[in-house]
Amino acid sequence: MKRSRFIPKAGRRAAVMPFCLLCLLGAAQGWSQPRGPELSDPDKPVRTIDIEEVSVSTRRNLSEIGVTKTVLDTVVLQQNIVHSLAEVLAQNTPIFIKSYGRGAVATASFRGTSPSHTQVLWNGMKLNSPMLGMVDFSLIPSFFIDDANILHGAGSVDVAGGGLGGAITLGTYPTDKKGFDLNFVQGISSFDTYDDYLRLTYGGPKVQLSTRFCYGKSDNDFKYTNYNKLNEDLVTHPVERNKNCSFRDLHVMQEVYWKLDDRNKFNAAVWFLDSNRGIPALNVNYQEDDRSNNRQDESTLRAVAGWDRLDEKLQLGAKAGYTYSNMVYHSQGTVNGADTNQGGAIAVEQVHSQSIVHSGFLNFSARYFPNRKLVLSASLSTSLHAVDSRDKYIYALEKKNYDTMRLETSVLVSAKYRPHPRIGLGVDLREESYGDRMTPLIPAGFVDVVLWPKYNVVVKGSVARNYRHPTMNDLYFQPGGNDTLRPEKGYTYEGGLEFALRRKGFSFEGEGAVYNSRIQDWILWLPTFKGYWSPINVRKVHSYGVELKGKMNIVLGRGWTLFFDASWAYTRSINQGDPMSENDQAIGKQLVYVPEFSSTVTGRLSWRGYSLTYKYNHYSERYTTSSNDPSTLYHLGAYYMSDLYLEKGLRTKLADLSLKFCIYNLFNEEYESVLARPMPRQNYGFFIGIRPNFGRGK
Amino acid sequence: MKKRLELLLLLLAGLLSAACMDYGENETEHIAVDDTPGLFIVNEGNFMYGTGSLSYYDIANRTVENNVFLRTNGIKLGDVAQSMTIHKGLGYVVVNNSSVIYVIDIRTFELIKILKGFTSPRYIHFVNDEKAYVTDLYAFAITVFNPRTLEITKRIRTDIAGKSSPSTEQMVQYGKWVFTNCWSYDDKILVIDTETDTAEGYIQVGKQPTSLVIDRNGKLWTITDGGYEGSPYGQEAPALYRIDAATRRVEQVFPFEMGDRGSEICMNGARDSIFFIRSRKEYDNGREVSRDHIWKMSVEDTVLPTEPFLTNASTNHWYGLAVDPNTSEVYVADAIDYVQPGFIYRYTSRGERIDRFQVGVIPGAFCFNYFDN
Repeated sequence: MKRSRFIPKAGRRAAVMPFCLLCLLGAAQGWSQPRGPELSDPDKPVRTIDIEEVSVSTRRNLSEIGVTKTVLDTVVLQQNIVHSLAEVLAQNTPIFIKSYGRGAVATASFRGTSPSHTQVLWNGMKLNSPMLGMVDFSLIPSFFIDDANILHGAGSVDVAGGGLGGAITLGTYPTDKKGFDLNFVQGISSFDTYDDYLRLTYGGPKVQLSTRFCYGKSDNDFKYTNYNKLNEDLVTHPVERNKNCSFRDLHVMQEVYWKLDDRNKFNAAVWFLDSNRGIPALNVNYQEDDRSNNRQDESTLRAVAGWDRLDEKLQLGAKAGYTYSNMVYHSQGTVNGADTNQGGAIAVEQVHSQSIVHSGFLNFSARYFPNRKLVLSASLSTSLHAVDSRDKYIYALEKKNYDTMRLETSVLVSAKYRPHPRIGLGVDLREESYGDRMTPLIPAGFVDVVLWPKYNVVVKGSVARNYRHPTMNDLYFQPGGNDTLRPEKGYTYEGGLEFALRRKGFSFEGEGAVYNSRIQDWILWLPTFKGYWSPINVRKVHSYGVELKGKMNIVLGRGWTLFFDASWAYTRSINQGDPMSENDQAIGKQLVYVPEFSSTVTGRLSWRGYSLTYKYNHYSERYTTSSNDPSTLYHLGAYYMSDLYLEKGLRTKLADLSLKFCIYNLFNEEYESVLARPMPRQNYGFFIGIRPNFGRGK
Repeated sequence: MKKRLELLLLLLAGLLSAACMDYGENETEHIAVDDTPGLFIVNEGNFMYGTGSLSYYDIANRTVENNVFLRTNGIKLGDVAQSMTIHKGLGYVVVNNSSVIYVIDIRTFELIKILKGFTSPRYIHFVNDEKAYVTDLYAFAITVFNPRTLEITKRIRTDIAGKSSPSTEQMVQYGKWVFTNCWSYDDKILVIDTETDTAEGYIQVGKQPTSLVIDRNGKLWTITDGGYEGSPYGQEAPALYRIDAATRRVEQVFPFEMGDRGSEICMNGARDSIFFIRSRKEYDNGREVSRDHIWKMSVEDTVLPTEPFLTNASTNHWYGLAVDPNTSEVYVADAIDYVQPGFIYRYTSRGERIDRFQVGVIPGAFCFNYFDN
């Protein structure tokens, strides 16, 4: 009998493991504080930690009333130079990242929605492609971000419309160091991979400057046993190298911060990226290396400048931005040359697909604090996108996909009110337009109540009706663009509870949320009778689930500290549309590539400059067919990935040094995380970081 | 401290026990069929997913075995399985975007040989026992291999004067001439001399001829899709063409409405009737919809039929069509939403539905197995 790869029970068991860990994090508190007199001697801790209580403030940020939010700080973001935001999100949040491997596209599925349902903002400016609606997180180096906030579900309305899954805000901030500072990291990793990161900062009384540079280059040609092919003996499997997957990414960012006076601040950031990436061949592809070669080049410039004014009761802000993006996809294939017999083949560019995007951006915002209990906000954002998308084919045909401009505007008014120190209420109203069309009003409501101030126990809830308007490809792409599309409509409501315990030498915080969303008019591209694909408002999706997260820090004594961070999510994203025919078996099934369970664990043990970090990431099985066919051909088994980092910091007179050794894929797993895309087995990275002491202010 | 260590060990044990992915060699099984007539269904799978598959339908017993290639050989069929042809007891499965042709035993589905060296192979035509042609979407060449040795022997250049697209598709033979329709951004039927293995010329037809058959009278029939609105190649009304193979002259053009689409032309065993899919615009409660129907006409007819042979009540598009050469029964493929295993409908020669069965994702091509070829 054929072995079944459908192992739901095992998958669930593994998924439950981080959930248990979350419970254990809670239980661990018991070992960090003395027990009562009922403890017998064996149960007494070896060392007693002084538990002088620390008061927990119940004053909560007015703008975050009722919002489920995950904060990723620089410690998390800047843990590994080779990481893009895709790896950071995958390893630290319940967001599912569909990644084709390092140096390849990575998209996010938040609460079971599609990549275009996650809105991403960088310093207030949207990063989502106006053509596709989504963001490639592999092109955002985590070292270029100082602060990332993940707003789950309804909380996204506060920053953008259309975040049916949620929103992610990314920020860069001035350094708090005085004088000059330099930080350089050199990485050497498996598969001829080299990474460099340099940051030069200057902090003065009025002006702060930061220049960042990040360069990554790799052959990425790892070896793997190809279980989808047979050797000539038709018995054994070949060991192959990952083909056509080299990449070279360059990022440069310049930031300027100028404090005019105590009330007025200006800032500007310019980020240039240039990327050249091979598109790896499938592991079922038999083409010889020189007969096929697909690559994608991207050059993108993003610039945003802002002014902030802070008065006693009024905060004003203005931003202006510009984005230029030039993306080229080359498909090189083989045609026959002069010698038509054996060989004689020559490689030519069969497809040259280019998209040039210019986007201008303006934002005005105001926040008024009449008293400490109330904040009233308003903001206006507008973007003008000009897209020129065209394909050229080998036989000198040029197809213009579209060459169109579109104005998008978003207006928000918001009120957040805390009538009692333990009760918070909030409401957002957002209205968006795209082209000459408007979305209906996007309302969101928030509430939170502090139940137990001592442990910062807060219950919260939110509800929103959200709309995501069609992308420019959805409307204008030739052939197939459908200008009759309606915006996707989503209703979402959620409830949650959070708490925080802080003692001397111990902290533990956790949060849980339950959500329920219904999305109608989900835009889906389907083949037409004319042979090409076209989008229609076809699907209804019911998305619901549970999210848990916890974080614990224990000072063990004698220089030892222990840190844990874990998240766990249960996600159901169900197709509830009408059957397309009597044969349609997709109704009532999980959407493709959405795992039912996902979880992450980070554990770090530190001692006198040494730290040992373990990272674990799990996704349950994923289906690639809308009918959730469990056969091996269409189904990806559960994914478990473990990495281990050992790091040592050294302080010398001349410079601070850090040495880091990383083992990726600790358990040497063979796997695919996307169908037919092999992934590397155990591999390594070594990093050296240098921060010279010269020029640094005190 | 001891408790903390226990806790750490517990956590570590939990992590280790969870860290094992189910991946690797696929187990195989023995599936054998007897000499009762059968039908291979070639399921394309999704482009860049590598989910092509092969299904086998027992025509007499009305049973289906899916995914027989993977189950038998332990490897996936590949990306965009395009077509299958049987010759001398061997099945040749062309997998377009994997650039490979698998040669299999048609009774056991066991792999005999893997033919490599193609760019974007589409269809195979066996000229004789020692020569077979493989058309290609991108290569500007037809690859020739020897079915006895299963070795590639040469390539026939197809970039002759007047032909600007590399596309070559289905093939039929008339005497020493092989004809192949050039579908992608092209409007020609290319003519190959099988004695010299050279492209001798072409027959001009409408935009994008999708498929090609030859009837009992030596007439070629092709059906064009006419391109699409906004295409750099332009758009025109699709049409059905009848061409005399001997004179290479277009004898009659049967035009469709602008915006309609035709494809999948097939013949019955007697080669006196043609069948094809034609999409046409219809009105459903005042809303314009397009429906695929199956149309049938005699090769002697001089006008298009006014009513379909098989009516599709849904707006789902029918993706594949085949006619049993012995019984004239008709098989129609429904790809549903193109991301789930599709279904096949089986009809009698009079158009009565007699079976429905599930196959793989995007069933696109068929190959009858009567163990006589």
